[in-house]
Amino acid sequence: MKAGLATSVTLHAALLGIGLFSLSAPRAYEVADVESLPVDIIPVESLTQIQEGEKQAAVAPRPAPAPTRRPDPVENAQKVGEADTDLKPPPTPDAKPRPVESASEPKAAERPQPRPEEKPAAEEVPAPTGETQVAATERTPEPQPRREITPDPVPDPLVAENAEAESLNLPPTAPVPQARPQPPRPQTAKAPEQKRAEEPAKAAQAQTRSEPKKNEELLDQVAALLNKEEASGGGAKRSQQEAALGGRETTGGEKLTQSEMDALRAQIQRCWNVPVGALDAENLRVSLKFRLDPSGAVEGSPQVISGGDGSSIARAAAESARRAILQCGPYDLPAEKYSAWADVIVHFDPTDMF
Amino acid sequence: MESVALAAPGGDLSIWALFWQAGWVVKLVMIGLLGASIWTWAIIVDKTLAYARMRRALNRFEQVFWSGQSLEELYRSLSERKTTGMGAIFVAAMREWKKSFEKGARSPLGLQTRIDKAMDLALAREMERLEGKLGFLASVGSSAPFIGLFGTVVGIMTSFQAIAGSKSTNLAVVAPGIAEALLATAMGLLAAIPAVIAYNKLTADAGRLGARMEGFADEFSAILSRQIDEKVAPRTRAEEYA
Repeated sequence: MKAGLATSVTLHAALLGIGLFSLSAPRAYEVADVESLPVDIIPVESLTQIQEGEKQAAVAPRPAPAPTRRPDPVENAQKVGEADTDLKPPPTPDAKPRPVESASEPKAAERPQPRPEEKPAAEEVPAPTGETQVAATERTPEPQPRREITPDPVPDPLVAENAEAESLNLPPTAPVPQARPQPPRPQTAKAPEQKRAEEPAKAAQAQTRSEPKKNEELLDQVAALLNKEEASGGGAKRSQQEAALGGRETTGGEKLTQSEMDALRAQIQRCWNVPVGALDAENLRVSLKFRLDPSGAVEGSPQVISGGDGSSIARAAAESARRAILQCGPYDLPAEKYSAWADVIVHFDPTDMF
Repeated sequence: MESVALAAPGGDLSIWALFWQAGWVVKLVMIGLLGASIWTWAIIVDKTLAYARMRRALNRFEQVFWSGQSLEELYRSLSERKTTGMGAIFVAAMREWKKSFEKGARSPLGLQTRIDKAMDLALAREMERLEGKLGFLASVGSSAPFIGLFGTVVGIMTSFQAIAGSKSTNLAVVAPGIAEALLATAMGLLAAIPAVIAYNKLTADAGRLGARMEGFADEFSAILSRQIDEKVAPRTRAEEYA
């Protein structure tokens, strides 16, 4: 028995020893950071100001987005240019602006104003509009290499022809709403249409010759602004600064701040349990009014001022909102601005919670 | 800053840390299960060695017994030292035989019965020695999972109380408690599984050895019965002739 006991104790000690060293603490899970604004760190001010920056970066005096990556040059490239791929033909000078279809034409179309000289107008005018567009949306007017790759010259003449046919189509006087143009129209269908449209076009030209050309340019500019076919993509703004805490865009102001109401809302939201099981719970909007004392504690009981009546589910929602308010107090708010938050009305809208 | 503290990982999760974090009931359960496991393995090692020894002894004895050696000589050599297994049965039977004949037994039937009884007794003693402590393995095999489960239930109760106390359902609050509670069940299973397997194996081995010894006892009983008949028959015949 002694031998057995000794063997057993030795075995157990060895196993435990191995276990202690090899089965020590499990590896930590690599969990991605949850996208949330750490409201506790951000100073509370009277206005909410969001500065462009990174949601997961540390707070810096000046918020800044993450630095953009410089496009790497293509190795062994033969031709000089901005394109991503090395192409034999020279780069196309500029992206041809093409009139793009929109769902509804501007109101001006109701007045019969066929353009007398479509062709030059269509080719000349949008070029400057394209430039203004770039200047308006982008701060650094860098030439975009991407645009040079995409233009496909095929649809352009088609669309131009279409535009011509369309304008010719316009009746002389009656304000007929324009039909939506069909961009790739087959050749067979086009011929009779043009034939049919010849006479009204002549009449229209005669009538609208006196119209000032300026108006027309304006219309084209408006159309160019309205018709944005290309998706905005990821944006082309470049940044070289180190990333710091901030939002996706700048809403004004100098710093990243939150208002008292934002702070209060964030604090209440932590305690709010939405009645998820309820049918149609998204529509259970409740508004409550309550009073806070200077220390931030809730005075009395929150009053339901809208919602929370009718079905038992609505009452439960109101009750949950009331509980959230009571449970999360006292609230941490700047005391010197007590008058701003002494009486609070909070709207509980569960839509965002689903 | 409270949220930051809650989001921090739930501390050390090594086995040693889990043991020390556990409550005293869970600790007691774990220590008991560790003790049971140690004792179980001690029995397993001991019994395995003992059965191997016994098997070798039986083989050697059978070889000697059927080698044609005189039983008197065998008895003389065996009775001087401590015997196990078949040797013990043989010595018990021979002792009874010699005692009866030295005093001049009269009834052959009574002698046969006495010899059988002596052999049965020796066999029972041997079987008891073989199967002793196997009951502990059976107990551990059947009850250790439950003991471990008990520790787990108590541990989980504690960790739920911790949830109630911290007013947070964060997994980081619950996880260490549940991990340490589950350690108790793990230890229970760790003790129970070898115990059950070893119990089945050792019981079968013991049964096989017991059957071998029983067979020898029957055989030896038959030999002695023949001897008794042979010794008694001439005497009665002589009495008839006289």
